[in-house]
Order: sequence, then C-alpha cells, then structure tokens
Amino acid sequence: MGRPDSHPGRRLTAIAFIGLLLIAQIAVASPDAQVAIDVGVVVASQDGPTIDPELSSIRNQLQSMFNYSSYRMIDRLKRTLSVDETGEFGLPGDRSMRVTPVPAKGNKVRLAVQIMEGERNLLTTTLGLSRGGMVIVGGPSYRKGVLILIISAE
Amino acid sequence: MDCTKAREMIQDHIDGRLPPDSARAVREHLGACRACAAEEEELRRVGDMLRLWSAVQVGERELALSPLWTRVRAGIEERKEPGLARLLRRWFWVPVAAIVAVVALLFYPSDGARVPFHPKSFDVTVESLESDTATVALVDKGKGLPRVIWIIENGKT
Repeated sequence: MGRPDSHPGRRLTAIAFIGLLLIAQIAVASPDAQVAIDVGVVVASQDGPTIDPELSSIRNQLQSMFNYSSYRMIDRLKRTLSVDETGEFGLPGDRSMRVTPVPAKGNKVRLAVQIMEGERNLLTTTLGLSRGGMVIVGGPSYRKGVLILIISAE
Repeated sequence: MDCTKAREMIQDHIDGRLPPDSARAVREHLGACRACAAEEEELRRVGDMLRLWSAVQVGERELALSPLWTRVRAGIEERKEPGLARLLRRWFWVPVAAIVAVVALLFYPSDGARVPFHPKSFDVTVESLESDTATVALVDKGKGLPRVIWIIENGKT
C-alpha cells in the first residue's frame, strides 16, 4: 500500500509550475508563423588573407564558391518577421534590403527579397528555403571589394 | 466520636470535604487519640507522595508532547489565518517563479548576437529572379555548397 501524499498541495504546485514553464516556452519560441531572418553582411576582397571568425563554419563553402582572399563580416542583422510582414535591412553604400516571408507549406520558408540601391531596384526575387537554410546574395561593389549577403531563415 | 467513625472521616477531613462541625469533631478526636492521629499522618504522607509522583509523570509526558503540541499549535494558528492570506502565502512563489522563467527564456541568448552561421541546409528554390538595373545570375555549384545569386551591376562589376 502506497504512502499517502502528505503534501498534495506541493505536487499540484509543481504541476502548475511545469505547465506555466511550457506555456512560457511556447509563447517565447513562437509558432511557425514567424520567421527569424539572419543576415550577415560580408565584404569580400583581395585585401589580405582574412576570414572573419564568425564565418569559420562556412569558410570552406566561401572559398569553394568565390575567389577572394579576405572575408570580413561588417554587420549582422537579425529580425523576426511574421508572414506578410516586411522587414527592412540597411546595407552599406546607400543600399537596403526588404524581406517579406510569404505563406509556405510544411517546414519550408518562402521569402520575397528586394534589394535596392537608392531608388534603383538591384534585385527582386522569391526564394524557398528549408527552415535553417541559407542562401547567398552577392555582387554589389563596396569599397575595394564586393558585398556578400549571407541570408538564413529559421 | 469513636475511632471507627473517625477513621471513616479522616480522608475526607484531609481533603477538606467535611462540614465545619464534623471537621471540628474529627480534629478533637485526633487530638485525643494517638492511633487515629498516626493514621491521619500516614494518609497525609501517602497523599503527598501520590501528588509528587503524578507531577513527575506529567512533567515527563509534557516533554514528549511538547513537539507534538508545537505542531498542533502551528496548525491551529494556520487555520486561524484568513483563507485568502493563506492561499497567497502558499501560492505566492508560483507566479514569481513563472515570471522569472519567462524573463530567463526571453533574455536567454539562444541565438547569440554574433555566433557563427550554422546552416542546416543549402537547399534553395529560386521562384523568380529579376532586376531593373543589373544583370543577375543564379550560381549552383552542387550539393554541399550554397546557392548564390550574383548581381552584376552594369558597368561596375
């Protein structure tokens, strides 16, 4: 025969506390309707053999894709956006990027991306990524090199 | 008063339960009869010893009962508290703990400000691609490498 619970109130309290934690976790983690956009603004150039430590995890990919000797990350921009909410990211050289998550199915993220230079439209694209996926947009010149935008969406 | 009658009344006399007339009669007999006086003395001594023994027993029990009594008294005090105050006192820490947990989750540096990139996938679908002022190219060097959209600014790059 089991021992009677001498503190039933404490057990209830513990259950309530765990419930609150779960609710808080769900509230903080946010549902799938939100997309966390992470943009690394990198200047690639031939100006010395430098690779930013923050790019160490994709160093091999960068060196396989491009022929630059230096990769310096000059900014890291993060925004969490809801579907159909547009986030504007300021870029060097009077440029800006607008990102709008659009409805997607399953574990996919679809992003409408527009890059402007002043009033000029440099790029308009719609991308489909897996959550946690990455795409690179590059090419616009900046100082002695080019801008490379490492865009990931979670 | 004869001895038989006196001895029947001695205990009541010791206990102070006799009416004044009977008590006086007993005292007079005890003053005159040494045997009955000795009997009265003996009964008084036994009574004293019983009272002393009882006191000792109560004292020992009191020691054992003391912690129990403390708990009982605490329970009584607790029950005397108003219901709302008791509830507040008992459940106060729950919302406090929840608030602490939410704050910790909100401010926990889960993604870090400048942590390295850790892409889970390079699988990208480009649904549309256009530019008003530049030439754009989609570069795909195969699996394991990210897809690149390269903007060739006319006359610049």
